[in-house]
Amino acid sequence: MLRFIAQRLALSVPTLLLISVVVFALIRFIPGDPALLMLGDMADPQSLASTRAALGLDHSIGVQFAYWLQSVLSGDLGVSITSKQPVLELILDRFSVSASIVLVAVLLAALIAVPAGLFAAWKQDSALDLGLVTGATLLLSIPSFWLGLLLLYAFGIKLNWLPVVGYVPFAQNPAEAVTYLVLPIVTLTLVELGAITRMARASTIEVLRLEYIAHARAKGLSERAVLWRHALPNAFAPTWTLIGLILGNLLGGIAVLETVFTLPGIGRLMVDAIYARDYPVLQGCLLLITFIYVAVNLLVDLLYPLFDPRVKL
Amino acid sequence: MHTFTRIALTLGFSSFVLGSLSAEAASTLRVALNADIRSTDPGVNRDENTDAVVLHIVEGLVAYREDASVGMLLASKVEVSAEGLEYRFTLRDGVKFHNGAALTSADVLWTWKRYLDPQTQWRCLADFDGRGVAKVADISAPDPLTVVFTLDKPNGLFLAQMARSDCGGTGILHPSSVDANGKWQAPIGTGPFKLVEWKPGQYVDLQRFTDYSARPETATDGYTGNKQAFIENLRFMVIPDAASAKAALQSKGVDVLPDVTVMDAHELGALPGIKTSSSANMSLNALLFQTRDPLLKDVRIRRAIALSLDSEQMVQALTEGTSHANNSVVPDTSPYHKTVQKQGYKANIEEAKRLLKEAGYNGQPLKIITNKRYQSVFDMAVLSQAMAQAAGLNIDIETLEWGTQLERYQSGAYQIMAFSYSARFDAALNFESVMGDKNQQPRKVWDNPLAQGWMLESMREIVPVKRQALFDQLHQQMLADVPMVVMYNGSTVGAFQDRVEGYRSWPIAKPRLWGVKLAD
Amino acid sequence: MTVSLLSVNATPARRPLRWPPANALIGGTLLVLLISMALVGVFWTPYDPLKIDLLSRLKAPSALHWLGTDEFGRDVLSRLIIGARTSLWISLLTVCLALFFGSVIGMLAGYLRGWTDRLLMMINDALLAFPGILMALGLMAIIGASQYGIVLALSIAYTPSVVRVVRGSVLSLREREFIEASRVIGNSEFYTLYRHIAPNCVAPLCVLATSMFGWTLLSESALSFLGLGVPPPAATWGNMLAASRPYIANATWLGLFPGLFIALALVAINLFGDALRDRLDPRMSR
Repeated sequence: MLRFIAQRLALSVPTLLLISVVVFALIRFIPGDPALLMLGDMADPQSLASTRAALGLDHSIGVQFAYWLQSVLSGDLGVSITSKQPVLELILDRFSVSASIVLVAVLLAALIAVPAGLFAAWKQDSALDLGLVTGATLLLSIPSFWLGLLLLYAFGIKLNWLPVVGYVPFAQNPAEAVTYLVLPIVTLTLVELGAITRMARASTIEVLRLEYIAHARAKGLSERAVLWRHALPNAFAPTWTLIGLILGNLLGGIAVLETVFTLPGIGRLMVDAIYARDYPVLQGCLLLITFIYVAVNLLVDLLYPLFDPRVKL
Repeated sequence: MHTFTRIALTLGFSSFVLGSLSAEAASTLRVALNADIRSTDPGVNRDENTDAVVLHIVEGLVAYREDASVGMLLASKVEVSAEGLEYRFTLRDGVKFHNGAALTSADVLWTWKRYLDPQTQWRCLADFDGRGVAKVADISAPDPLTVVFTLDKPNGLFLAQMARSDCGGTGILHPSSVDANGKWQAPIGTGPFKLVEWKPGQYVDLQRFTDYSARPETATDGYTGNKQAFIENLRFMVIPDAASAKAALQSKGVDVLPDVTVMDAHELGALPGIKTSSSANMSLNALLFQTRDPLLKDVRIRRAIALSLDSEQMVQALTEGTSHANNSVVPDTSPYHKTVQKQGYKANIEEAKRLLKEAGYNGQPLKIITNKRYQSVFDMAVLSQAMAQAAGLNIDIETLEWGTQLERYQSGAYQIMAFSYSARFDAALNFESVMGDKNQQPRKVWDNPLAQGWMLESMREIVPVKRQALFDQLHQQMLADVPMVVMYNGSTVGAFQDRVEGYRSWPIAKPRLWGVKLAD
Repeated sequence: MTVSLLSVNATPARRPLRWPPANALIGGTLLVLLISMALVGVFWTPYDPLKIDLLSRLKAPSALHWLGTDEFGRDVLSRLIIGARTSLWISLLTVCLALFFGSVIGMLAGYLRGWTDRLLMMINDALLAFPGILMALGLMAIIGASQYGIVLALSIAYTPSVVRVVRGSVLSLREREFIEASRVIGNSEFYTLYRHIAPNCVAPLCVLATSMFGWTLLSESALSFLGLGVPPPAATWGNMLAASRPYIANATWLGLFPGLFIALALVAINLFGDALRDRLDPRMSR
């Protein structure tokens, strides 16, 4: 198994490299550069030139990339052009905010959705099942930011129960931190509930039709035992894949929710970095995201055999 | 768990949380910033928001008054020699730094040496090292309360440049603002607030400086006057998203929004518990023409566009009646905006049509570039297109991302552009920002060598009456040349909670939290 | 590892002719309604969706303006109708482009294997790892905000998913006997690909297409939200939703309706997609 992990990690290096090169080149193709954006309409040629030199932008792209690669390999991701903060520190800070929300929300969603999906499959075609499926489909179809906006309006403005803007780190003041996190987590949980429920239900249905289930039933096992011991572990596999995919994608797409709820997360960091042409931050973020994507995929693949013994690593 | 217990727990929890929230709120004034500050080093790595915060912490020798003229701040008076080469500042006595040290001319010397050192990368170095109008040849401190600046040429803008907010107001710092190696630590200034903590991306906390020595005047006068602070704790919160900031104000999560859009101001002002304060500012919204464009190089077509626009009606709509048209590059609130500057373009569709016909315009499409980041600029483009249509002009709107538009502005690669100029604090600088040799600086809109000479002269000239005459000449020439149509000056509207007393918006636009009290 | 294409509503393979299942009916009807709304909008809307009327700004829904007016006084219903056209058109184009390029690349990779496959998949995985929204943002900053810019950006973002699915299908198909038979007869590789493999990919592709249609709709609104969608004054559901944010407290209808329509469209697509999958997935026989 260790060999498998090592192999996968080794294979991911060319991907990381490729992405770095592409991102590096691509963002420099976008018209406008950080110096220009900093100076705005006050940008005369002299101040532009000196600002660019200060940012290290006066070398050729190749040279810039070489410098960057060199510092990355020694663990230094550079310094943000807009805030002068070390990129690694900045990214980790922001990432912890996004990750806390995403992980909690997906966990909550899974905890609710998997049993719900199982249950629906067990009672397939009953009124309860139909209700659950319709509910899940509806939830799946609601745009997350629209839901977020409506919840914000209802609970933040109209009822004034929860704060509308800002963020307090959990370590600093847990009680207050929770109030800022409730709405975003609830929104995200609701959004993911739909997809996970449907997937769990569908895979359970498929499994329940299989012969070994009939066999288990013929053996005399109660329905509950059949469900728990045979159906769930096998049905969980595709759901687990889906959860992995969701986690991987969410970190890119969470920018919108962070905008709605004004959270200092990594999605907004990336969007702001694009608008400000903050090259070091963008490069650092993309590296991190790719790495997470690879790690999540790896984790999913590693845990797969737990659920489906037919699958070999 | 029993339902009743659950409800009780939730209620208890919520009230605990809400209680802890409001307890903090009572003694802290929270002001929204639409982006994080860039640094705490005055005039070095800065933008509008950075200046706004830093100017609560540091003070310079001179500063802008409420009417954007230059007044004394740390200096009690200044004597200018006859040829305009020597400026003798007398410092106020008894001014203290945040660390308790007294202000002396030695500190002024140290600060200016640091600013003028190229290593510091001070934004305004070019104005003082000879690349601009004049060079600061020497600074000396004959006694602890006197500083003498010697220039190599007369410079009508010298005091205004010293007062510039984007130079950090040339705030005077104590040497312990840097460490033993000269690396920047934190600003130790003389301002009404001192820096407590900057949490990047989230907030900047300031605290009232209890030993602040206020000037003898009775009230605040721009960035000078009596700047005594009354609030204990001041927090600038980073809320980049305008809609979130608005929602936060309505739910009492923030106390002051220094800059809301005109449309928001309307709605917010009508709500109970929220007040607004509006003031014209010195930014410009304008339509720029590329005079080198094959179609637009004909002044008749440019003039036709200018005449097809009803500036007054457009501005009424764009600003909800809070501002009015100003076709001069010199802002309304400038002391140099007098009779001649009030002349502009009067809408005349018939004349516009006639000019187009004479110029042989045949409905060729013209592109106007705008962006979605600055809503007022975008709306101006939309309305301009609609109005110009009436004269038969076929204009297309091209919306670019802000960074991309800046690039086009910089290189002059456009036909028409809806643009916004940030404030310049002297009329000469207003003209300078739009005039120049297009071969050298493609971003300049107006290329007229004769007018260029007048503009340079206005920078050297010290006597106000003579400067006014030059500005009048420049304005009239600009109206004739039509290189651009200046539409109006922006307004700054601040919206704030009822409990905030004494907050006022003003032409220099940045928020000022000294002189402000919390009612409860 | 394979991802099985599962259904939420297993139906038997052979059935007597009767009404299509409920989800196809509801989904299909909704879709037809929305598409007709879009088509009608080409020729007629209650008011001119671009006409600025500064006197009737921010009016609540009334008999005069069924869904109210926006910040420029433009009729919300009319803008929703032409918004339908633009949003649906963008999604359709994107899906078609992604399907086309994705299939070609996926088939090449899956059928030819070897170094071609490995190289293509490395690039593909790299693209998949890249957050779509950001790529779209970056591309739009380069190209400039426009309808076709969005289509291009989103197609590039979604092609990798198509490639994955098609390659997966091809990989499982190419080992089957009828492919072997085709080669033995003497058909060229290309012919085999075209005649035998491609048609069998259609089913999973149809299912993927319906999901992608929904994702694109959502992505377009997300992009508008972040500031780089189709620029006004053109109307899309996404940019109407984005523009409604400052008015959420005082003119809630501005945000309510575009979001509602997006949700309706997605419900329709999801329901219809489910029904489609049931019909096409041969493994769903009880």
